[in-house]
Formats: sequence, C-alpha cells, structure tokens
Amino acid sequence: MSTRIVVPRPRVIDRSRLSYIRLRSASPLQVPRPRLIDRSQLIYLTLGKVPQARKINPAHVHYLRPEPSVLEKNILSPETPGTENFEPFAITPQLEQEADRRIAQYPDDQKRSAVLPLLHEVQHRFGFISPESIDWVAQKLDIAPIKVVEVVTFYPGFRQKAPGKLHFRVCRTLSCAMGGSYELMAKICELTGIDRGSADTHKDPISVSPCGKFSVEYAECLASCGTAPVCLVNDDFHEGVLPEKAQELIAQYNG
Amino acid sequence: MSDITYLPGKEPHANEHRLIFKNVDRQGWDTSIDTYIKDGGYEMLKKGLGMEPKAIIDEVKTSGLRGRGGAGFPTGIKWGFIPPDNQKPVYLICNCDESEPGTFKDRYIVHQDPHQLIEGMILSAFAVGAHTAYIYIREEFPEAAITLEKAIAEARAKNLLGKNILSSGFDLEIYVHRGAAAYICGEETGLIESLEGKRPYPRIKPPYFPAAMGLYMAPTIVNNVESLCHVVHILRMGGDEYVKLGTPRNSGTRILCVSGDVKKPGYFEVQVGKVTFRELLYEMCGGPKDGREFKAVIPGGSSSKVLRCEESFKIGRGDEAKDITFWDLPLDFDTLAAAGSMAGSGGVIVMDDSRRMSWVLNNITHFYAHESCGQCTPCREGSTWMKKVSDRIEDGSATPEDVKTLEEIAYQIDGKTVCAFGEASAWPVEAMIDKFREELVGETSEKNDFKSAERLEQEKFLSTSF
Ligand SMILES: Cc1cc2nc3c(=O)[nH]c(=O)nc-3n(C[C@H](O)[C@H](O)[C@H](O)COP(=O)(O)O)c2cc1C
Ligand code: SF4
Ligand code: FES
Repeated sequence: MSTRIVVPRPRVIDRSRLSYIRLRSASPLQVPRPRLIDRSQLIYLTLGKVPQARKINPAHVHYLRPEPSVLEKNILSPETPGTENFEPFAITPQLEQEADRRIAQYPDDQKRSAVLPLLHEVQHRFGFISPESIDWVAQKLDIAPIKVVEVVTFYPGFRQKAPGKLHFRVCRTLSCAMGGSYELMAKICELTGIDRGSADTHKDPISVSPCGKFSVEYAECLASCGTAPVCLVNDDFHEGVLPEKAQELIAQYNG
Repeated sequence: MSDITYLPGKEPHANEHRLIFKNVDRQGWDTSIDTYIKDGGYEMLKKGLGMEPKAIIDEVKTSGLRGRGGAGFPTGIKWGFIPPDNQKPVYLICNCDESEPGTFKDRYIVHQDPHQLIEGMILSAFAVGAHTAYIYIREEFPEAAITLEKAIAEARAKNLLGKNILSSGFDLEIYVHRGAAAYICGEETGLIESLEGKRPYPRIKPPYFPAAMGLYMAPTIVNNVESLCHVVHILRMGGDEYVKLGTPRNSGTRILCVSGDVKKPGYFEVQVGKVTFRELLYEMCGGPKDGREFKAVIPGGSSSKVLRCEESFKIGRGDEAKDITFWDLPLDFDTLAAAGSMAGSGGVIVMDDSRRMSWVLNNITHFYAHESCGQCTPCREGSTWMKKVSDRIEDGSATPEDVKTLEEIAYQIDGKTVCAFGEASAWPVEAMIDKFREELVGETSEKNDFKSAERLEQEKFLSTSF
C-alpha cells in the first residue's frame, strides 16, 4: 500500500475579500478608498526612533480599519475581569532604579540582554505586559519596540492580559498528568467558577474567573515530577496537590 | 560523613552515594553562607585558586566527568575547546533551565545548596578564564532566583566573588538571569540567544559551537548545574580518586529522578552504572503500586526512547555481546545508549499496566508541539502533526494507517532540524510506536474515517472554483 501524506486543513479564506480582485461585469470596478493609518501604531514596524504621531482629522476616523491588524492584536492587552487587580503601568523611580540595576548586569554594548529581566520586572509589578510597558522597555534599552514585542509574544512566561489575583499554573506534563493534574485543573475551575471551555493553550492560555479573583493556566513540567501533581500559585510552589486538596489550596489564600 | 543526619522520612537509601546531594534534606541545614563554610565550604576554592587553570582542566579531564544536562559530553574536553588564541572575553553559563520532563535534580541544588553551585562556578570560571558568569534559571523557580541572588551577595561580601577574589588576582561576577517558561531555552544555543534578549531560536552547529562562538559571539561554556557542582568534588577528591567512583567511562555519581507509578518516587544519587533498574525500581522505589505491574520506563527524561519492562538487549560488541534483560541494565550513559535509548538528564518516568500508551504518547506529543520554537519546518509542522494524529488515536477516531503516518512524520523530523529538539520530539514517538505498535493499532479502527469529516470539507472547499 502506498503511503499517503495527510495534508493539514488549509486555512479558510474569507471569500468575500476576494471580490477586490474580481471584475464584476454588472457594476463598475470598485476601488476601495485608501485608508488613513494612525502612524503612532506604526512604531512597531519601524527600526529606529519612534516617529511623531501624525495628527488625525477626527472627521476621517471612520476610514480607519475597524478590525485591529495582526500586529495590533499582538500588542493590545484585552481587558479581563482581573484588570482591576493591578495598577496601570506607570514609570516609577523604583522601577527605573531596578531596571538600571538589571541593565548593569550586561556589557555596555549589549543592553538588549536585559529585555527579559525588564519584562519580568514589569509583569511582577503591573501583572501583565501592556503596550505602554513595551514602549518603555524599548526606550530603556534603545531598541525598536518590535524587538520587545517579538520576545513578549514568544515566551509563555509573559502574559499580555491581566490574570486573577491568584494565578494557578498547573503542570500538565506526563508525571503530573499520571498523578491527576487534569483532574486538579477541573476541580480548581469548578471551585472558582472558571469556564475553560474555549481556552486555547497556545495563543490564549489563561482563563480568568468572572469575579477576577482567580485565573488558571496549564504549565509544562515544573521540575518536581516526583511529588506530582504540582502547581504554582503566583510565585508559591505547591507539591502533591491531589485533586481532592484543591479546596484546601484555595482556602489557604482565601483565609 | 557519619555525623550528617537527614530529615525524618527523607534519609538517603543505602544504595546511594551522596556527593552533590549531601546537604539536601539535611537536618539543621540552610542556604546561608555561614552554614556552608562551617561545613568546610569554599575550602576547595582556596585550593583551586592556588592552582594553574590548566591544572584544574586536566583534573576534570582525568575525572572523566560527563555533562549531566542531557548529552553526556565530557566536561573537561568541552572546556578545552576554547580557541587558544582567543582575544575576546570568555563567558561561563550555568544551565539551570531544568525543563526536561521527568527531571527534578537541579531544583534541589539551587533551592537548598546554592553555595555549592557558586563554588563550582567560581572554580570552573577560573579554569576557563571567564570573568563574567550567568546563571540562566527557569522562570518557574522564582524562589530559587532570590535564594541565588542572596547567596551571590553573601559570597561577594566575603570577597569570594567580585574583584581580586581572596587576593588571587582573579575577578568574577555572577549574575542570575531568569528565563520565561520556554523549554527550548534549555538547549545551549537557544539559551544563549535568549540571554542576548532575543527569541530563543537555536543556532546551527557547526559553526556556532558555543565554545568558539557563543554569547555575544565570544567563547562560552554552558554547563548544567549538576556538572558544575561536581567540579568542587573532583578538586576535593582529585581526578584520579573521582574516576574510581562509578564504572569506567561513566565515572562519578549522578542523580536519578524517579517519578510516575512507583510506591516511593524521589531522587537518588548513585554511582553511575552501579545500580540496575531492578535495584532502582524495586529496592529503592519500593516496587509497583499495589496490585500493579511495571509496564514501561522512560529512562532519561521524556526525550529518551521508552523501554519495555519485558525487553532484553544485546549489549557489547562482537564476541563480548551479552544478552541483558531490562531489569539487569545498569543506568549509565553507554549501556542505555547501547540499549537504544539514552541516560539523558536522569529523569526516570515509570508507567504501570494501568496506563494506556496512546494516552502517554498523546501527553508527550502535546508537550513537544507546545515547545517547538518554530524556527525550522520539519520540527514546527511535524510536532503539530504528531499532536494532531495522536489526538485522533487517543479519542478513538483514528485508522490503523494513522499509526503509520505518525511513525513516518517522526522519521521525517529526526536528523533534519537545526537543533536536537527535533530528535527529542521524534524519538519518543518512534520508540513508542516501535514497542507498542499492537496496543496503539488496537485503539484504532478500520471503520473510522477521519477523512469523512475533515477531508470532505477540504475537498468541497478545493473543488469550488475560484
Ligand atoms: C531540546 C533540548 C533541551 C535541553 N534542556 C536542557 C535543560 O533543561 N537543562 C540542561 O542542563 N541541559 C539541557 N539541554 C542540554 C544542553 O543543550 C547542553 O548540552 C547542556 O547544558 C550542557 O551541559 P553539560 O555538558 O553540563 O551537560 C537541552 C538540550 C536540548 C537539545
Ligand atoms: S528543531 Fe525545533 S526547536 Fe530546534 S530550532 Fe528547529 S524548530 Fe526550533
Ligand atoms: S511533570 Fe509535572 S513537574 Fe514534571
């Protein structure tokens, strides 16, 4: 039997968009009007300094594309019920001081190395990485904002939307899964009213409870497989959290 | 060592030989520098700084120490790869990304004995001529990052780090750099890219061997936490003495991390090759859970090939070849390689007869599909396809042909990628199919036709003319 290679499903194309390249016999060719671009959004594309934002005539605003572009989507931080848990991003003296200390750890001409430490600092203080904080990190390190964006969007350790006050990261890898971590996750969701139905583990791994107090996410092996199942609650590590101990775990923080 | 007592319930097993883990779970032990110095810590540093760097490298070469991070490459030889005419600064990086599923040894070193690592790092940096060293620690160890930074500050205060260490004229700074939850940052060139503030896309070797072109294109030595800790003990015992531990070509001790379906999972520091699977799983881990039998074992982290418990292997060359059953296999680098698997990072994952292999396979493929960095096509696409096909096997909608497809995808990744992640993701799948084909095929059905749903939709889409 000859072997067949299975082709993954092609992306479905929105066929209505194809109308631009099709000549309609009945009606005259419709060329869409050029749209005005808010140049301040473009800084993520430029390599050097941030250009001055062009003034936009409010009367023209309706020309702006209604849907954010892929790039815009990648820098925006959608609101979640957890947003109110955190202060909005602000450049404080403490933040600057900590950033300078981190930058000093790397050779003078290699400031870019500090991008992870700076992002950690932002996420630690403000809960997540917002577009403003991306700009700040880029400025601090003299690099184009796109270089910060590419880092933020790659690493699962950085999140772009607010988690709950208590963020559970449950290990789902083999040893923990054998120990019952999937059941643990289900139990935590049940107890905190989180609906993980639509969670996509790759693009949007975090689910926040409606009250904004809790959020959950799967983590990959947390390097404590011998005490499976394990999870992180914010920065605290918990081992041997059998599903039946979920209640106890949450109570520990709620008390 | 007789005066050392351990926390109740955490005493080492009689088969263990503790060097690196001497202070783990020790009664009255803490992470402060005073405790460490009181126990004879930093004595080897004084000795080492009085030696020639070359002499330390030779000592490590004599010891036969092999890297404990996964590849098992001889550490002393790696250190010798720094170009002799090098003008650039040399960097030392400690790989504490411990993310190989099944491995949990570095965690205890950095949480409970940070000064041992720092002493090992100072000695290694001195040997290779590095004046800046980084500890790349995974993001999921926030507490350890703080512990390490505190330990570094303590060592600095005692002039064990900083300028002119102990008046030897040697300068060294160690910094902690936190990763951000990406497995591929464990791969040494990916780690270096990450440390440079980029996406951790591994570099292709050759030419980018870190020892010649590493961090900031300068010579860089990347070593695992455990490997660096061994340097302290090699200096204490002397290379000649150290090499007597373990078995020839597999010297020293190593930490085995057992998890999964055993009565007492945990970590065991043993002489390499002196413990067989029988001893490890029955004596040290208390055997299978009640009413269960062992079925399969992943011997060196989830990237290594799975072994069946009723297998036997032909080990050795030519006339010396011997038949050895799985239970009599010693856990060392060479024997496990001869048995078709690898010792890897020492993470032993045990599965008993209650586990369905399609479920295990599915869990593993999900891990690799999530963690591929996406730089090269065979790995990025292949790992996702393997996940999709194994999803089908797991949810019962696969055909027997799917198992074959899965195997084919794996063989198309293996050996065709930028970094060893390709093999790491393909080997477990290849082995799982090789050893449990019947079981996997048994989960499929001729009657299934995933094409009916998916293909039809595709065909409909393709046939509508544009
Ligand atoms: C996909 C992949 C993941 C790896 N993950 C780790 C890791 O988590 N920790 C580690 O020490 N080495 C890891 N390694 C091995 C490193 O590339 C490197 O060989 C090791 O750090 C060298 O140190 P050693 O010589 O002391 O073993 C990984 C390798 C690959 C290919
Ligand atoms: S093999 Fe995979 S992980 Fe390695 S570089 Fe290629 S895509 Fe990235
Ligand atoms: S599998 Fe969960 S900690 Fe390793």
